[in-house]
Amino acid sequence: MPDQERDKPAGTATAAEAPAVPVPPVSTPPKVTSAPEDTGPQSFFGEPLVGFDPSEITGSLIVIEGMDGSGRSTQITLLQEWLESEGFAVQTSGLRRSNLVGRDIDELLAKNAVTRLTLALMYATDFFDQVEHRILPALRSGTIVLADRYIFTLIGRGVVRGINRDYMSGLYAMALRPHLTFWLNVRPETAFGREFRKAQAISYWEAGRDMSLSHDLYWSFIRYQTMIKREFEVMAKKFNFIELDGEASVPAVNKLLRQRIADQLGIRSTKYTPSSALSHLWR
Amino acid sequence: METQEVLQKPARTEPAKSTLPQPGRPVPSRAYPGALIVVEGTDGSGKSTQLYLLKRWLEIGGYRLHFTEWNSSPLVKSATRRGKQRRLLTPTTFSLLHAADFADRCERQIMPLLQGDYLVLADRYIYTAFARDTARGCSPRWLRNLYRFAPVPDVTFYFRAPLDVAVNRILSGRPKLKYYEAGMDLGLSYDRAESFRLFQARILEEYDKMVDSDSFVVLDGTMPVNKLQKQMRDIVASKIDLKRFAPRAAEAE
Repeated sequence: MPDQERDKPAGTATAAEAPAVPVPPVSTPPKVTSAPEDTGPQSFFGEPLVGFDPSEITGSLIVIEGMDGSGRSTQITLLQEWLESEGFAVQTSGLRRSNLVGRDIDELLAKNAVTRLTLALMYATDFFDQVEHRILPALRSGTIVLADRYIFTLIGRGVVRGINRDYMSGLYAMALRPHLTFWLNVRPETAFGREFRKAQAISYWEAGRDMSLSHDLYWSFIRYQTMIKREFEVMAKKFNFIELDGEASVPAVNKLLRQRIADQLGIRSTKYTPSSALSHLWR
Repeated sequence: METQEVLQKPARTEPAKSTLPQPGRPVPSRAYPGALIVVEGTDGSGKSTQLYLLKRWLEIGGYRLHFTEWNSSPLVKSATRRGKQRRLLTPTTFSLLHAADFADRCERQIMPLLQGDYLVLADRYIYTAFARDTARGCSPRWLRNLYRFAPVPDVTFYFRAPLDVAVNRILSGRPKLKYYEAGMDLGLSYDRAESFRLFQARILEEYDKMVDSDSFVVLDGTMPVNKLQKQMRDIVASKIDLKRFAPRAAEAE
């Protein structure tokens, strides 16, 4: 969609100008100040989220991004085990996992009767429901949240479908800024092979079939994922992604992840061998 | 291929490609041939009655029109219902779910009909979200961005009624207020009627702020129904070239 590429680089909203009518969260005494407009790493991208104070956050938000077949889920499973063995409480999050609309999105996708904007907004609803009911409560109790994808995938998907880039990043202005964002970068060709082996098929949405890029499933997948990848390249600079080579072996990628996370959390040793339950992932 | 001539469609002014709306970008009213008439106001301001009467007037006249209501897309209905029943909604997700609902209607009904030269009548529009969600504490700037894909109305009627009049109309006719409708999620009061009153007061304040910035046509919701309707019809006739939406026969003369 080259004609959409001409937008000026998206600035995520800087800071809320007029403080909105401050509204306390349910069942707390009225509090006049809403979240401070902090620009530090723990805060929101732009606007504060209604009723939440970022200074309460004691946990860490670690995001793993990457296309289907980049190895995200495998790495998260392994990291969770490692972190738990180090004594950290871990919570995971991912797309379409909210109680509010997770299943509705599944249905919309299955029916394939939804327009791009509605779908983007349903994903945003799903995202913020998880932020408010899963991610923030966990972060406030000192838990490590491992996010299997985050706003970057959602922004990228919208933008390649022709939705204005500023619009998409404005939508996520109240998303929490992650402490670490990893990008497992793989070639679409590699990802295709991995995904195909998993299910012996490629799904309609993974291949971006709604975009009419090609009647050939393979080419549709490659073109779609290449477009997404280009969006990620833009965002990688803007949002300080830690780019890792997703083509490397699982243990090699895991080691790099552990090193960066150990630094962040002050864990001294990065030694880890998966338990027998997970040893099948270690190849 | 000379036979093609016969099949040629009547010349319809098709907007140039560059003016086609891009999702997430504002859609000016010149971008489409149709016209959009919107009514806004607090609950009990009389807006739905007035829009119904306007619709009857236009229907009886045979005009091409479509009527659309806030919060009515079947696509996200189940999610909205579940969220409300189980009280899962926060100000942010409440707002997003309504935006998704509106986006669905906008992309599948409102925009296509406006492009297809229809009169579209909307009972509540994005200003309802601005007033209600700002009253709930959402950032006005975030909300303005959220609804940036919505076409700008040709006329926005704002039915203004004093708080007591509007609230009493609702409370006398409909004793059971729903949780979110009464703004119970804001924790303003444990009493539903009182919470409703406080919530409506905030909404009214937010509507009033938009009168100038969004060019509302303010109408007095306490006037007799038929007089108010006369005003509304006069304004519609003066602001919109109704002939364009008239039945073909009338168009010919």
